[in-house]
Amino acid sequence: MSVPTAPSTSQRPATPRRHPFVYLGAAAIIGWTVFAARQVGFRWSTFIDVWTNPLWEKFWPIPWEWVLDRANVIDPLIETFQIAIVATVIGCGLALPAAFAMSRLTTPNAPTYWVSRIVMNVVRAVPDLFWAKILVTAVGIGAFAGAWALSIFSFAVIVKLFSETVDGADPGPLEAARAAGARHVPAVRTGVLPTVLPSYVAYSLYVFELNIRASIVLGLVGAGGVGRVVEVQRSSFNFDRLLGILVLVFVVVFVIEQISVALRRRLV
Amino acid sequence: MTATLERPTRPARPSGPRLARLGLFVAIVLAFVWGFSGLGASAERLRTAPGDAWEIVRLMWPPDFATEIDRGVIGKVLESVYIAWVGTVIAATLSLPLAFLASNNISPAVVRHPIRQLFNAIRAIPELIVAMVLIAVAGLGPWAGALAIGLHSIGTLGKLSSEEIESANHGPVEAVEAAGGTWISKVRWGVLPQVMPQITSYWLFRFEINVRASAVLGVIGAGGVGSELVAQLNFRNFPEVGAVLIMTIAVVVSIDTVSSSIRRRIISGGRGDDPSRLSVLFGDLVGRPAGRPSRPQH
Repeated sequence: MSVPTAPSTSQRPATPRRHPFVYLGAAAIIGWTVFAARQVGFRWSTFIDVWTNPLWEKFWPIPWEWVLDRANVIDPLIETFQIAIVATVIGCGLALPAAFAMSRLTTPNAPTYWVSRIVMNVVRAVPDLFWAKILVTAVGIGAFAGAWALSIFSFAVIVKLFSETVDGADPGPLEAARAAGARHVPAVRTGVLPTVLPSYVAYSLYVFELNIRASIVLGLVGAGGVGRVVEVQRSSFNFDRLLGILVLVFVVVFVIEQISVALRRRLV
Repeated sequence: MTATLERPTRPARPSGPRLARLGLFVAIVLAFVWGFSGLGASAERLRTAPGDAWEIVRLMWPPDFATEIDRGVIGKVLESVYIAWVGTVIAATLSLPLAFLASNNISPAVVRHPIRQLFNAIRAIPELIVAMVLIAVAGLGPWAGALAIGLHSIGTLGKLSSEEIESANHGPVEAVEAAGGTWISKVRWGVLPQVMPQITSYWLFRFEINVRASAVLGVIGAGGVGSELVAQLNFRNFPEVGAVLIMTIAVVVSIDTVSSSIRRRIISGGRGDDPSRLSVLFGDLVGRPAGRPSRPQH
């Protein structure tokens, strides 16, 4: 039996040739990045300066007795919660029917589909803080405007996520319901809703987390919550207090997140 | 015929989770009522608020583009896009190596856990708060905003990328091992080609998110279109506000559309089996063999 002879020189396989457009594309991306960096005033030195800035000393020590005072931080933090809860309930409640109108599977007709899609894309394109600022201008400074802005925002977020889930739902039960002669709404309620409800609840929890986080910054434009305190302390350069507030907020957000993640894991 | 057709009876509803559902419903209602009590919403306010909000929308029409273009708002909108792009590039370059260090098939637990906690901590801090601190260090302006967006995005990008790396097929890694490759070769040839398409699509997705985020940064003076919106709202120049809003929406929606079509091509290679020219280009740019998905679609 002869041993197959190995080729005398082991040769690498040839590297596949790249499409010439690849180099063009890569060059375009790099060029665009360099251009954008120049436009924003990119500076390497900042990466070093950041660590040597004397400002960092102002962050320490944290004045805990000020931070843990009820009137200073705790009450606004509770207000943050209230904003987040109200916004989540309103936003998610309205989003449930809207998402069904926006999904290809369950939309009653094509005009509803396209109109709701376009409206939602526009609503989602406006950042939450812009909504807050507009509504503060409309209805006055305070948590009321904040809750409203976040309701709109969470509505937009959840409709987007949830309508995609509905798109991917099993069409079988819906067909069965229609075959049995159900009208549109009952058919959707019995044929689609039960299969997608767990993801809906999971998204709602996720949006609640988002809202808690968002309502921290809402206060910057006067829409209530703990952000109001952050803004005041920032503009008076009390960085140690600022750090204290942030630490407290993040402990709270972290706890909520853990609970919500545990709940979501059970659901989906 | 005597046999009457009996009306079919409905099957009985399952009774188990009903009580739990009722309890949950009551809990949500109570939480809502408690939350609502803290908003300072009187009946009067509830009644007039929708009208007030609508009044502002009405005042924004027709939008005053001429004044805003004179004030250079196009530059401001573009500045938001630059900020988002530079921030995304910073986050992408920093998060990729960190993501490898945070993956359980690449890196030991001692390295992995601290980096994961770092991702979590970063994700918890909103860009605006990061920007507040960085403004003090890097000065007012778009650079502080770009840096803030970059730092903040490391959190999500790192997490998503490391999850992608963890789900990579081990086969190619073993092949590199069998061929006597070093640790670096394993990462470069065994893992990176598998995960790059998905990770690139995460980068693009983050860019979309960052465009919105950078629009907001102007509120605290970190560049972009936000300062213009806030200023015009403060002066109650509503037609100008309308113009700024419409321009922002136009830019955000068009970036979303373009980016999501690119993402779709990167991941699934265009529509259908026939790889389009563009999908070949994008696939090649991110290191994926053209035309074929790198793994089964989920």
